[in-house]
Amino acid sequence: MKKPEEIFEILKNKFPDADIQIDLETPTEPIISIPPKSVHNISLFLRDEEELLFDSLMCLSGVDDANGEKIKQEDDSEIIKGGTLSVYYHLYSVSLKHKITIKTSADRENPEVESVEPIWKTADWHEREAYDMFGIIFLNHPNLKRILMPYDWDAGYPLRKDYKNPEFYKGMKVPY
Amino acid sequence: MAIKTEEMILNMGPQHPSTHGVLRLELILEGELIVDVIPHVGYLHRCFEKHCEAMTYPQVVPYTDRMDYLSSMYNNFGYAVAVERLLGIEVPERVEYIRVIMGELQRIASHLVAIGTYGLDIGAFTPFLYCFRDRERILSLFEMTCGARLLYNYIWVGGLSHDLHPDFVRLTRDFLKDFKPTIKELNNLLSYNKIFIERTANVGVLPLDTAINYGMTGPNLRASGLAFDLRREDPYSIYDRFDFNIPIGEGTHGTVGDCWDRYYVRVLEMYESIKIIEQALDKLPEGDVTSAIPKRIKPPKGTIYSRVENPRGELGYFIISDGSLNPFRVKVRGPSFISLELMGELCKGHLVSDVVAVLGSIDIVLGEVDR
Amino acid sequence: MKQYFKNTWEGLYTVFVGMKITFKHLFVPSVTIQYPSVKVPLPERVRNRLYVNMDDCIGCDQCARACPVNCITIETVKSLPEEDLGKTSNGKKKALWVTKFNIDIAKCCYCQLCVFPCPTECIYMTDVYEFAEFERNNLIYNFATLTAEEAEEKKVNYEKMMAEKEAQKAAAAKAKAEAAAKTKKDENSSENKIDKEKDSE
Repeated sequence: MKKPEEIFEILKNKFPDADIQIDLETPTEPIISIPPKSVHNISLFLRDEEELLFDSLMCLSGVDDANGEKIKQEDDSEIIKGGTLSVYYHLYSVSLKHKITIKTSADRENPEVESVEPIWKTADWHEREAYDMFGIIFLNHPNLKRILMPYDWDAGYPLRKDYKNPEFYKGMKVPY
Repeated sequence: MAIKTEEMILNMGPQHPSTHGVLRLELILEGELIVDVIPHVGYLHRCFEKHCEAMTYPQVVPYTDRMDYLSSMYNNFGYAVAVERLLGIEVPERVEYIRVIMGELQRIASHLVAIGTYGLDIGAFTPFLYCFRDRERILSLFEMTCGARLLYNYIWVGGLSHDLHPDFVRLTRDFLKDFKPTIKELNNLLSYNKIFIERTANVGVLPLDTAINYGMTGPNLRASGLAFDLRREDPYSIYDRFDFNIPIGEGTHGTVGDCWDRYYVRVLEMYESIKIIEQALDKLPEGDVTSAIPKRIKPPKGTIYSRVENPRGELGYFIISDGSLNPFRVKVRGPSFISLELMGELCKGHLVSDVVAVLGSIDIVLGEVDR
Repeated sequence: MKQYFKNTWEGLYTVFVGMKITFKHLFVPSVTIQYPSVKVPLPERVRNRLYVNMDDCIGCDQCARACPVNCITIETVKSLPEEDLGKTSNGKKKALWVTKFNIDIAKCCYCQLCVFPCPTECIYMTDVYEFAEFERNNLIYNFATLTAEEAEEKKVNYEKMMAEKEAQKAAAAKAKAEAAAKTKKDENSSENKIDKEKDSE
């Protein structure tokens, strides 16, 4: 049983080069942020380290932070330039019964995050969902394609805050 | 030595009676042996997460009903718990007790459907009718309380929409009294039936480490032999006050974690739910159920991941609040979504007819997979 | 060999046990009913078709705002001061003509969220559940009691009144502006002021 602060210290000591931060401000759960390109290494460490043993990934969610510059379009819609897309990992250790939240943010223009699919198989579909909904590219994912939307949906990523419904999909009218 | 032949691809669904909704399974076969199963989901995608961003917090509740339509009450429950933790409010005792009673009744109703339709998938028609007969009585109890049979919108953030009906306690006790012998009858009819056992034992065996690595929860994980129940593990509401056992799979007729175990854990869980309901009915306090409902739900900035033990497993709500009346992001981690991912793993090496047995045993609801 | 016979015996025996149970159920009263001719009595809290008692509606728009699927559309026009719209059954004074009150019951999700905020309890769910239609447009229920012409008349009346009021205000503002002509208040600001007043109405 370890507190998030202790886990943060362990991570900090193990990966001195990586930019790891902890956000204690959030009222409900402290969040550890890690850089997107070291997700795989840190996750592997979290799973295999004797005193951590995070053997289950409860949830993986993509989030559009919408913290970029908002540009008004001619038709009164907004598009967002810059800023980040984030991925939240909620980990739980079945044997040691502690949990943490990990967050990683990638650029909106080039959202590349390392996949954790080889570490926790749960992540397979969750990452596909995050890709489907936000367009986050998971590097080294074996089968990264859309899951809930049609495989050939070409109107963008629906859960982004600046998503606009297309008029037509394959000649069919979209808004009913 | 087997002759290597070309693999055949067979589509099962989307309009297949055993897929419990609209699900397409792409079966890759070699002769009659399964090489791989690729589920194609999304036919029931209703943009739950996108809708939530345009709704106020109380307006999300009717939408949660429609995710897992066989356990709507528990979806409401999970959402209410998540938002209450985000708001940091306490709810009255009576509300907690009623929530537990409703949640456990819903668990019984959901397991009855799981068991009944599983029998139907395997080829036993009668248990299905008996299960639905009893489920009807639970639905009538719900209807009496909140007016709806399937999509309740009953458990609100901070309280409940209605107090219990004056007759509710009496009728629930009557139901539980009648229901216990029915489970026994069901066992004789289906669980111990030799034909049923032959179809399900040693089929779709799920080893424990695979189950954990795939994030399997609920009855499916317990059937693999780990007593992991969020009601005990990470208690929410008032579950720490009740005395109940956690049934696990023992491999009575085959290997631990086979289809029969997954099925039988659900049967045993109904007994435990009955125990919890009886204890809760005994202790049910008086009080007001609507007093703690906030007038305006406006949580502080922050994130929460809150999980409850749904009849199918861990139902998690990840909510990000930006301090306004609408949630910034709601993500649902549905147990069926995770279970379905395992289909390929479970079916490998079995026969085509076993796909139906495996699919029925993991008990998915497509409404929740696709949301 | 022994196993084979044991399995056969078990197969036969367990099927026989099941058969016994089903046979017993022959003598149990049936739980199904012949639906269209026999109906289950509904409990009092049942949630089916929405109904609005327009005598009590004050046009406050709270139900429309609570609705998660936006199936209620309400349009109102303010009444003239000399008109008396009467009172609702719980003593609230009505001040708005409800010119449009449409419920698209095809969109309704029967969640009952519109019922709770109503201050006069005039919108509620009834126990009518058989209301299928051949035309989808027939499912848009129009509850407003005013006819189209009446609604138009009220609108015109209100606009006339507003126009009169505005003319008065404009005149007053003009007088004021003329009085304060030395401070060089331009026409724009007074117009803005009128706009602002209009907004606050």
